[in-house]
Amino acid sequence: MSLANTRNLSEVKVDEATQIRREKRNNAIRKWLTVGIFLLPGMLVFIVFVLSPIAQTAVYSFYDWDGLGPLTNYQEFKNYERLFEHSAFIKSVQNTLVIMVLSLVIQLPIALMIALLVARGQLPGRKFFRAMLFIPYVFSEVITAIIWLYVLHPKDGLVNTVFTSLVPGYQNVAWTSDPNVILYSVFAVLVWKYFGFYMILYMASIQGVPKDLEEAARMDGAGEIGVLRYVTIPLIGPTIRLTIYLSVLGAIQQFVIVQILTTGGGINNSGSVIGTYLYKYGLQRFKLGYGSSIAVVLFLFTFVFSILYQRFVMSRDYQDD
Amino acid sequence: MRTKLSLFLLAVLMIVVSSVSAQSNVVVRWWHISTNPPEQEFWQVIADEFMAANPNVTIEITVLENEAFKSRLVTVMQSGEAPDLFQSWGGGVLWKFAEAGLLRDISPELDANDGAWRNSFSAQSALALYAQGDATYGVPWTWGAVGMFYNKALFEQAGLDPENPPTTWEEFVAAIEALKEAGITPISLGGKDKWPGHFWWVYFAIRLGGEEAFLKAYNRTGSFADEPFVKAGEYLQSLVEMGAFPENFMGLTYGDQFTLTANAGAAMELMGQWAPSLYENAAPGVLGDNLGWFPFPVMPDGAGNPGDVLGGGDGFAVGKNAPDAAVAFLQYITSVDVQRRAAEIWVIPTVGGAEDVVTDNPVFASIIEARNNAPYFQLYYDQFLPPALGSEVNDAVEVLLAGMATPQETAERIEEMASFELE
Amino acid sequence: MLRITLVRSSLLILRYVILGFLCIIVISPVMTAFLGSVRTTNEFLSRPFGFPEGAWNFEFYLDILRSNSFWRFMGNSLIITSFTMVLNVVLACMLAFAFSRLRFRGRTFAFNVLSFGLLFPLTVAILPIFIQIRQFGLIDSYWGVILPLVAFGLPQSTIILRSFFIAIPNELEDAAYVDGCTTFGFFRYILLPMARPAITAVAVIQIIGAWNEYFLPILVLNKDVYWPLPLGIMQFQGQFGTDWSRVMAYVTLLIIPAIIFYVFAEKYIVTGLTGGELKG
Repeated sequence: MSLANTRNLSEVKVDEATQIRREKRNNAIRKWLTVGIFLLPGMLVFIVFVLSPIAQTAVYSFYDWDGLGPLTNYQEFKNYERLFEHSAFIKSVQNTLVIMVLSLVIQLPIALMIALLVARGQLPGRKFFRAMLFIPYVFSEVITAIIWLYVLHPKDGLVNTVFTSLVPGYQNVAWTSDPNVILYSVFAVLVWKYFGFYMILYMASIQGVPKDLEEAARMDGAGEIGVLRYVTIPLIGPTIRLTIYLSVLGAIQQFVIVQILTTGGGINNSGSVIGTYLYKYGLQRFKLGYGSSIAVVLFLFTFVFSILYQRFVMSRDYQDD
Repeated sequence: MRTKLSLFLLAVLMIVVSSVSAQSNVVVRWWHISTNPPEQEFWQVIADEFMAANPNVTIEITVLENEAFKSRLVTVMQSGEAPDLFQSWGGGVLWKFAEAGLLRDISPELDANDGAWRNSFSAQSALALYAQGDATYGVPWTWGAVGMFYNKALFEQAGLDPENPPTTWEEFVAAIEALKEAGITPISLGGKDKWPGHFWWVYFAIRLGGEEAFLKAYNRTGSFADEPFVKAGEYLQSLVEMGAFPENFMGLTYGDQFTLTANAGAAMELMGQWAPSLYENAAPGVLGDNLGWFPFPVMPDGAGNPGDVLGGGDGFAVGKNAPDAAVAFLQYITSVDVQRRAAEIWVIPTVGGAEDVVTDNPVFASIIEARNNAPYFQLYYDQFLPPALGSEVNDAVEVLLAGMATPQETAERIEEMASFELE
Repeated sequence: MLRITLVRSSLLILRYVILGFLCIIVISPVMTAFLGSVRTTNEFLSRPFGFPEGAWNFEFYLDILRSNSFWRFMGNSLIITSFTMVLNVVLACMLAFAFSRLRFRGRTFAFNVLSFGLLFPLTVAILPIFIQIRQFGLIDSYWGVILPLVAFGLPQSTIILRSFFIAIPNELEDAAYVDGCTTFGFFRYILLPMARPAITAVAVIQIIGAWNEYFLPILVLNKDVYWPLPLGIMQFQGQFGTDWSRVMAYVTLLIIPAIIFYVFAEKYIVTGLTGGELKG
């Protein structure tokens, strides 16, 4: 743009106005051509395979449709009404919120503490720990869930075996089916899979905190806790705000791990989340119209959250926009 | 006599096959779920044989695991494109596809030559589950009955007569008490997979209400909250309270369930015809001749016939655009010859001429007898009923088993969904 | 002075104890899978966690490694993963360039639309996606898996790359143009080489995603000659019984390349996720 302007200036000598106009038009064409070449291939793939299926889903959500045969039974917002009257859906939303809140108040603080433990000061073998603790993140969700199904096995799974040998009189717990614990088991597996991801983000941020600032605080007589509280943590604020955003989006979108671990939602939907609810009541039961309305609600949730969060919380972290 | 019949069928088949081969190149897309290596190899051999006899036919096989198959089939059917031949359990899901016009009616082929193909099936009640009205959309190739498998050695250990298993509810309860006394888990059950638990509730309902109660509820002149269904829940609840099932059984899967029986960790198991091969695979030689089978006990004041049976099996359905070669191939799959060979490996034949392959085994003999002679044969609810209702039955019974709902609430929950799903 | 060192070293020991404990928690599920794979399914189901009663049995590994299908699945996985990664990175670089260095009307709008893709997991629109794939005749083709994966990965990749591109000073761009560089030249010869760490990170994230994808190949690929590795688990899952020992052996075999790959790529994942701030 700036380059184009300078060139224009140097050529203003040419007296004919038409020349200038033609030049301008050519520049505009060239500019849009460039934009097009960079933009179109990616946007095309995106529109064809992401945007239009999503739009299609929104259309289905207004029909009573079993997915077989033509789309004829238009019924306005009936699917949505039914959705909010269904106790299993309410339960799934509640469970999703519980996982979301637990992620915020337990998973992120744990990840932060571990990051502080690994990242600060002298620690021979730091690389090793960083690598080890991040490993679960590279496993697929299917594999993670299959393995954990047996780690949490009600008979003599690893967890029950360990507790039996440590706690006298311990009774085996059915971790992945008992309605009182199922959700927490799911959460524990999610923590195992994803804490490393957040830990890495925090570590990077912590190491970016200037050493002399922390030193200065120490010189002023602040204890180690004080240094953390008044210097380190405030300075990694942007990263914390980013992880909160990612963690909430992640919690809302959970599906595979919960599906396999709870065999589709657990007793009385005790372990059901929005994703598993959608799979069961939409796809498996041949209620495509209904299922689509769930997808739309799920999308609206994340959409509203992400708009509000970006606007009110993360806006200060974006200087470049 | 039997060999003559099968020779005749073979001849019929040859005619059908040769009339097909006059056509130009055709592709048959076939989806099955027999992932076990010997079964998968067997199907491949059968397809190769058919292709060798019909050089213009290519059979493309897709083998998928059960759950993957289901989610894939739902998606593909919903996009309006059925495979030519695919795994089907008959009943509600199949009828849904049929109503949407996604299946091909094969009754002309079944009825050709005075109904030679149709009449070759000994499991006629099973064949009926692939039909709606006058049209038939598929055929069963393995079919059985759900019943009580039991460990004779454990029965003996508990002081019970291994050759005279319980026939009535009173005797059944007495057996459970005796087994518990002897420190043996009476019944294996994995509640986490839902469908094994649903067998129990449905069987109680069959014994208590019989065909009439079910048909009334199904045709909406009655209800799933009627007395037999509530009482079914009460009996099931009493089994849970008796401690008939293993510790933490709601957390166990079906895999845990049969492993327990296979290792003589529990005395009884209510299951379908596939159970013996799973026991043998899991713990070779442990059960052996100690494995016995008896029908579900008769209930006091039950309206059902003692011979009524809950059961099901596997079949192949035919997609709407399937070429004639697909139907001819299906005919080949259920020919006496192929059924006999399949029965050597894992199949309970549906064709009369092949039954004697497995009837040496007393367990299979009783299963086939129960299947063929049932006055009322009920397909598993979760297959027979529309998908949403079937899956609701499974969910509701799971909650009942977990002790989180009363029998009344369970029946009402099922009825609520039924009033929505059944006209 | 001595006291301080004592406190320091005991603190260090405490840290090691805590971290060691965490490592055990991370590793023990993997051990469960491994111990399942060297015992029979019956042993495994009877006692999910435990050491083999007799000899360690590596037969299942040998069976899998000797089968043709495993290596064919591996080849398919490599094809799908590499094409997805390359295509995604190329398209995302171009998009990120447009969204960071070119000025045009509707830029913010287009970028926001792309970002919305982040809010949608692939599973929720699976039927329309399938219909789309079929309309393009991509059933039973690698492209039927690759293109949707590329599309669903674009928002994330573009966002990461864009923040890198923005951080590159404007002066550099002006100088390049003054030197007679074209837009393409600047993109190709100056911007891309500078953003190499970010590009590598995006590539690594895409590789992990494509390598692990399970749902999409099941829908799109009829013939097992096209299947990627994760679908191979199905061989051991029957309608009623699952051969867990073989599943666990297979799972362990899938984990090993993931770990090896990860050890090599860790540095890049970290730089990518963190904007290159992390030091060793």
